[in-house]
Amino acid sequence: MTPSNASRLAELDTLRALFVRAVRASFAYKPALLLSMLSAGFAYLIPMLVWRHIYAARQQAQPISAQALFPYLLIAGCLNFAFAMNVEARIGQRIRLGLIATDLLRPVDFQLAQLAQALSDGLFNLLLVLPILALAFAFWGPAALPHGGAALAAFALSVLLSFVILFAVSFIFVQASFVTYSGYGVFVARNALQQTFSGLSAPLVLFPPGLRAVSEWLPFRHTIHTPAAIYLGWLSGAAVLRALAEQALWAGGLLMLGRYLLKRALLRFEIQGG
Amino acid sequence: MERYKNVYFSAFKASLQAKLEYRVDMVVGIVTSMLMQGAALSFLLIVLRNTPTLGGWSGREVVFLFGMTAASLGGSEILFNQIWMLPQYIVAGDLDRLLTYPVRSLLFFLDTRPELHAFGNLLTGVVYIVGSLWTLHVPWYVWLGIPIWLACGTLIYTSALVVFGCLSFRFVGPFAQQLLIPLNLLQASRYPLSVYPGWLRKMLFFLIPYGTFHYLPGRVLFGKTAALWGLALAPAAALVLVFAAQAAWNVGLRQYDSTGS
Repeated sequence: MTPSNASRLAELDTLRALFVRAVRASFAYKPALLLSMLSAGFAYLIPMLVWRHIYAARQQAQPISAQALFPYLLIAGCLNFAFAMNVEARIGQRIRLGLIATDLLRPVDFQLAQLAQALSDGLFNLLLVLPILALAFAFWGPAALPHGGAALAAFALSVLLSFVILFAVSFIFVQASFVTYSGYGVFVARNALQQTFSGLSAPLVLFPPGLRAVSEWLPFRHTIHTPAAIYLGWLSGAAVLRALAEQALWAGGLLMLGRYLLKRALLRFEIQGG
Repeated sequence: MERYKNVYFSAFKASLQAKLEYRVDMVVGIVTSMLMQGAALSFLLIVLRNTPTLGGWSGREVVFLFGMTAASLGGSEILFNQIWMLPQYIVAGDLDRLLTYPVRSLLFFLDTRPELHAFGNLLTGVVYIVGSLWTLHVPWYVWLGIPIWLACGTLIYTSALVVFGCLSFRFVGPFAQQLLIPLNLLQASRYPLSVYPGWLRKMLFFLIPYGTFHYLPGRVLFGKTAALWGLALAPAAALVLVFAAQAAWNVGLRQYDSTGS
């Protein structure tokens, strides 16, 4: 084994250790976990109840049926919950306290280390939403299940790419913390865009034309709408492959942009503390 | 007595001045909170594309509800935001210092951490309210009631936060997720309560009576009911919630253990 291979293996082992530690930390505060799930469940319930009222009132014909809409909203809510990563808060706090100096001195790639921690958040959250999906199956039956084995496989890949896209977007936004020394603003800004353009509260087909056109040009729709559409079989065949390719391009491009911005930010960054 | 009243204002003013030192943070906070309000409004746009009215309320009327909730949220975040820090104060034993001051501990605690992004919520809320009422051509006297209902909304929301926050005295830990429940219920009240199932409507009228400071007055103002009592319930609801918050705080303090050393 060459020295460079050995150091790469050591780095991978460090990333794995970071991942495991972050998962354990997530389980440490169980009451917080339960309250978090309760409040998130409530937040996702509100748009569903609004749509339920609209579909029950039947004031005008809708572009999609209720049988298609509600499983979509559930998948979208579960994905959004699973993607709740503390990237902005975690990095923002370390920048504010000056602790990022020690992070940057470590022999581990900073962006990859953050991705490993974010992945642990995601995996942990994904485990929490599985019972909700089981409950959805009890309510809606096969309508809540993936549209076949191929759809499930493509969905799994799409979810992974969605996660990387959202991480990369968060990583780009968090570069602003090098100027503001606060993670709150960047988190809220990213979250606002995510909520508006991802298709979290409604599939894009229900969007007004202007809002939909903007959504088509942004990466956020690939974080919720694309995986949910694959899961439910709204995309199939070549359309799935094209969607996955678009997601991969966004993920790669945004990760590289994040690395570039970090390099630029560090050139003029002053470490806090002392 | 007057001197003690000034203590609260002086403490608030000093905290606000300290926050205002961070200009970039203030601008970012204001812009991003307006973005969040815009994100919520985008959902309303989507909804209104698919239905002409929501629970019998037109788009402009629903924007009034959006404005009232945003402005009440902003008012609470400016004046009484420290409640979000209560869990950390309890864990670190930092309430000890506060309890030695010759002040009403709850009010003093609440008013010493204004949040600057609150100005974004307040501003957006006011714009929504003015835009909605202006285009709906409401009579002049309606405008007089708005500050009263907003003050009631701010007190109801803050009191609900305090009641839920006081759970931290019982379940000690550095987490504030329980406070998201009153926040999410406030966000839910942006839509006409008639769209919700009965259990949720009851929660929003009786458990945390958000419905009293904008939905019930709105029903009267926009001619959906002739029951004028809907205009007057908010102050009573705010008073009850303020008493409940103070009681929860007193009970919580009796359970409070300092960290020692």
